[in-house]
Amino acid sequence: MTRARRLGLVMLAAGLCLGPLAALAQTQIYDARTKKWVNYDKKKARQYYARNNQLPEAFRRQVVTFRTAEKPGTIIIDGNQHFLYLVQPGGQAIRYGIGVGREGFGWAGIVRVGRTAEWPTWTPPPEMVARDPNAAKWAAGMPGGPDNPLGARALYLYEGDADTIYRIHGTVEPWTIGLDVSSGCIRMNNDDVTDLHSRVEVGAKVIVLMQGAALYKGV
Amino acid sequence: MRSKRWLLAAGTGLAFLGGCQSPPKPEEMARTSLQTAPADLQLICANAAAGTAQVDSSKVLPTSSRQLDAASYSVDLDAGGRKFNCIVDSNGSVKSVQPIA
Repeated sequence: MTRARRLGLVMLAAGLCLGPLAALAQTQIYDARTKKWVNYDKKKARQYYARNNQLPEAFRRQVVTFRTAEKPGTIIIDGNQHFLYLVQPGGQAIRYGIGVGREGFGWAGIVRVGRTAEWPTWTPPPEMVARDPNAAKWAAGMPGGPDNPLGARALYLYEGDADTIYRIHGTVEPWTIGLDVSSGCIRMNNDDVTDLHSRVEVGAKVIVLMQGAALYKGV
Repeated sequence: MRSKRWLLAAGTGLAFLGGCQSPPKPEEMARTSLQTAPADLQLICANAAAGTAQVDSSKVLPTSSRQLDAASYSVDLDAGGRKFNCIVDSNGSVKSVQPIA
């Protein structure tokens, strides 16, 4: 792959993953105090996170029962319910909360982890550079670090040997977990993506389930 | 007066029923308005459809699902371009796999 083509792919991926946040949130959480299900949108999510300094319990990392013939190490993403499962032996999985593509940006398919990176570089797409002076200063790439929008780790999803330009990555906006916010990338909080990265091997199968997907990959 | 008493009794009954409803487990205290089948049940159906369609399971993908009743789900699948419907119960037992015409 030429350097120009690789740079083009990186910019396209950055644009897809970090597009404007215009979520049509359909998520609800159970309010134990009022004993009612309440809508959980960007505003409420931010308030909840500011108040509790953590996500609602359902979106925190936990081991759950998961009946499957898929082998341990396989990643299953349930985009509609905002969960990522890492299959474990013995009919179990580690479940993580995720943020996914907003309406029209959801995708489904069967892909694989092509490569991974610690504290990945983020390169804003040209249209973001043109309209946002903060992004413009990173036109040549923002080095990895705590302020980098890709967060602590990135798992690059491939279809065969081709980069799908979708990633599983960390975030600087942890309150967006549980919402439809991205332009197709799967976002996790930094602790979770670091934990996932430590457990996953390059080549691992990734099954993405998303009812109403706008795009299919690998099938 | 009589209808007011009836309304009061009905309201009290509903409040009592509401109060008796047990809350979801902490790990289940999030949902979306889309009542899709749990991911593991969707994949159990994909595995069953791969056998019926005689295609590699890596080419079978659930495309939509819905809850039929308290104990069963319907899952639509694409198996290498052919469409199937699968009924699975909440214990993971596949009840049927049928091609969709």
